[in-house]
Amino acid sequence: MSKIVLTVDDSRTMRDMLMLALGDAGFTVVQAVDGVHGLEVLESMAMPDVIITDINMPRMDGFGFIEGVRKSERHRATPILVLTTESDSVKKERARSAGATGWIVKPFNPDKLIDAVRRVAA
Amino acid sequence: MDPLEAIKVTFFQECEEQLSELESGLLAMEQGETDSETVNAVFRAVHSIKGGAGAFSLEPLVRFAHVFETTLDDVRAGKLAPDNNVVKVMLRAADVLADHVRAARDGGVVEEARSQELASALEALNGEAPLAPIASEDFDDMPGLEFTPLTVSDDDGIGDDFGFTPLAAGIIELEPEGPALRRWTVHLRPKNALYAKANETGLLLRELKRLGDIQVSIDPADLPGLAELEPEHAYLSWTIVLTTDRSQSDIQEVFEFVDGDCDLTITADDVPSSLPAMGEASIDEPFDVMALIQQAQADVQAAPAAAIMAEILAPAAPAPVFAASAPSIPVPVAATAAAAGVAPDAAHGAAAQQATIRVDLDRVDRLIDLVGELVINQAMLAQRVTESGVPRSSNIAMGLDDLEHLTREIQDSVMAIRAQPVKSVFQRMPRLVREVAAMTGKQVRLVTEGEGTEVDKTVIERLTDPITHMIRNAIDHGLERPEVRVAAGKGPEGTVRLSAAHRSGRIVIEVSDDGKGIDRPRVRQIAIDKGLIEVDSNLSDEDVDNLIFMPGFSTASSVSDISGRGVGMDVVKRSIQGLGGRIAITSRPGQGSTFTLSLPLTLAVLDGMVVSVCDHTLVAPLTAIIESLQPKAQDVRAIGPDAYVIAIRDTYTPLIDVGAVLGYRTTPLDPTKGVALLVEGEGGARAALMVDAIQGQRQVVIKSLEANYRQVEGIAAATILGDGRVALILDVDNVVAARRREKARSDAKLAAAG
Amino acid sequence: MTEPASASRLQLIENLDLKAAGPLRSELLSLRHTPLDIDASNVQRLGGLCLQVLMSAQATWAADTIPFAISSPSPAFQEALSLFGAEDLQPFVQQG
Repeated sequence: MSKIVLTVDDSRTMRDMLMLALGDAGFTVVQAVDGVHGLEVLESMAMPDVIITDINMPRMDGFGFIEGVRKSERHRATPILVLTTESDSVKKERARSAGATGWIVKPFNPDKLIDAVRRVAA
Repeated sequence: MDPLEAIKVTFFQECEEQLSELESGLLAMEQGETDSETVNAVFRAVHSIKGGAGAFSLEPLVRFAHVFETTLDDVRAGKLAPDNNVVKVMLRAADVLADHVRAARDGGVVEEARSQELASALEALNGEAPLAPIASEDFDDMPGLEFTPLTVSDDDGIGDDFGFTPLAAGIIELEPEGPALRRWTVHLRPKNALYAKANETGLLLRELKRLGDIQVSIDPADLPGLAELEPEHAYLSWTIVLTTDRSQSDIQEVFEFVDGDCDLTITADDVPSSLPAMGEASIDEPFDVMALIQQAQADVQAAPAAAIMAEILAPAAPAPVFAASAPSIPVPVAATAAAAGVAPDAAHGAAAQQATIRVDLDRVDRLIDLVGELVINQAMLAQRVTESGVPRSSNIAMGLDDLEHLTREIQDSVMAIRAQPVKSVFQRMPRLVREVAAMTGKQVRLVTEGEGTEVDKTVIERLTDPITHMIRNAIDHGLERPEVRVAAGKGPEGTVRLSAAHRSGRIVIEVSDDGKGIDRPRVRQIAIDKGLIEVDSNLSDEDVDNLIFMPGFSTASSVSDISGRGVGMDVVKRSIQGLGGRIAITSRPGQGSTFTLSLPLTLAVLDGMVVSVCDHTLVAPLTAIIESLQPKAQDVRAIGPDAYVIAIRDTYTPLIDVGAVLGYRTTPLDPTKGVALLVEGEGGARAALMVDAIQGQRQVVIKSLEANYRQVEGIAAATILGDGRVALILDVDNVVAARRREKARSDAKLAAAG
Repeated sequence: MTEPASASRLQLIENLDLKAAGPLRSELLSLRHTPLDIDASNVQRLGGLCLQVLMSAQATWAADTIPFAISSPSPAFQEALSLFGAEDLQPFVQQG
């Protein structure tokens, strides 16, 4: 059974890249465009195995989204990977304190992405 | 297409959107809107461009975006106040960023000096590091995507910046590389936070197992009895002996995500004796001691664990903290309530944002084509019904009326799909204004209105050039230099206003300035000097103003950098007319000028006059026709064997036999037997087009002839009429020009005849 | 050790993750002081927190000197125990 990944990113480019890499690796991908949308999608979709989220997004940023997921009884045990850049050590820490499980450094190559997903997905 | 290439296309589309976001955000900031939402949106735009550019290894773009982003981050963090000066630099940086994007897309390069200048200006705002180190850091970002396990030197400080701390320094560097098996002891004690963030000890162990052979021993020493156990607290710890040929950084990488959420030591068991100091390579001495003790305990645990645990549990005076804490049931309740609290907000947010879908333009065009067919079919059906003598009051005729109404509505709705706000064109203008202002040394404020006014995509694409030209003209010729303005009692800063609005089924765009207005005596003199008008011509103010649209007219006494591009207002007028539009100017000396252009909302349908030429039906665009008249014999004068002119209100106008130009007939039409359409062609040249008869006015759906057949001289496009006949749409400019090509010859003949 | 006929049976759920730890503990506590036979045949995933609960329960039952057994472990459950090095739980696992 294919694992399900929810990706939350306001950039079409990034969503498409994630879709391409994850799809090629056999994951089922569900997409959301920002934090608010991400929480909405979570309410209706099948349990994702992993969530991947961007940090800088309109309406609700990645920090707010992660906190929202961790407050949800249904999803609080779901691993969340944040997309970040190497220089964003402060943001990485903020994301972790909001409850992020791990991170993916942008720009990512597909192998590293899949590797990070595998590391947190049961 | 290669999927990555397709994503790249998306990326550049998205860049354009981000660039306009960026610009409008910065302009808002310039107006004092420096709230965090605006600043964040601006930051996000640059951040997003950088992110995508990184994915495609567009290095110059990434580098510049990075510098820009750093400055914006300072603004966001409140470290840098976005005063006017700062925003001005950022606006120029936005222009350079746009150039970088386009260079990356189209394969050019951005002038290094310009890019460097802005990068330095941005850095000067930060008052921080110069470009070089930042750039090199970016390079590190680029190819790698590594979860860089930082190489470790003796300097402990470095690691902290990257969110995890290298544990054992030096060993790897000092050892010759090789796949030699080594034994490592990993001690792991998860903290509560590890589990709370959905990390999992089991997965860490699984990852370790991927590296080599593991022997795991579990230490339940701190595990309380069930009654005292907090289900989501971490009590267990593990000692793992790992035999692997992998490097220490590979082992560390397993724990990258849980750094700080567990106590961790990694020690090499078989450190060569030559390197005793490196043997216990731990950054954390106290924990290391603990590790040793616990390892010793683990060894002792040869005794059955249950017995030991029973012993531990026996003096079961449990920690009061645990005993007092509530059972876990209330947790879900609270959490659900919290989650529910999020939901209404989420729904609200969704409603606020309009849902959109992206559709391939080809599909919309196909739909428009089909609706065009529907309109034609409906018209044909209506005509057949009329021909069959069905009374107008019959159910069939009434039903047809409803159908016609519905068809029109569908057509309007479909056209609305392709309609876009003129914002995309307007957004390019601030940059133009900045550049022209800088070049002319004038102070200019651009005010835009009606950006949301929608017009068909085909029109939008062709609006940029005329508007660009008019704005350039307004700054270059209209506005005065600051000192001149002040002397005239105006503020030093001139205003150029760009507005769009819908007016009676057309879009009206106005470009106005508060400059000096048209200098009529000078315009008149220039026109006389250039032989465009007679010395004694009696011209109204309006006529004088309109002289600037004449081909070759230029009022700039010194050719400036801006206007010296070889295009004048005549070119603007011609391109507007090419769109079926009209342009007008009003001017008040000392107070400024206003150019008004009106355009059809779409180029997909056309208001035309249906005429007969020989046995053919043609459509002339209504916008080009000034009037139609029946020539009287005494007004027509032959100026050659096949050439005539017609006197219309004391002016001789060339009479063009459309049938002859299109090759429908060889014997010229007797002018008195036909109808003349007075048209205005390119450059304002007038001509009278002779046709056999006028059938009526009608809105027609334009079918490209080039797409369906090939380009034909004198014909702009085709349409299908209600009776199913194909009618060609006249290219008025082309017909007039075709006639003019023979003008020299005709003139010579006329001179000879005279 | 003979198992009294009155042993309670507890069927472990499929996914013993973070969220399952609290409910599992409550359920086990409600069965305290009764001989217990835990059925692990459905388990697909065993996380560290539920492992703690099971180990703590095992020790608690041992301290109470009441029989405690885990029977018909699923392959995933057994694999997890071995990965965790939780062999201490193994003697109590009854095959079949």
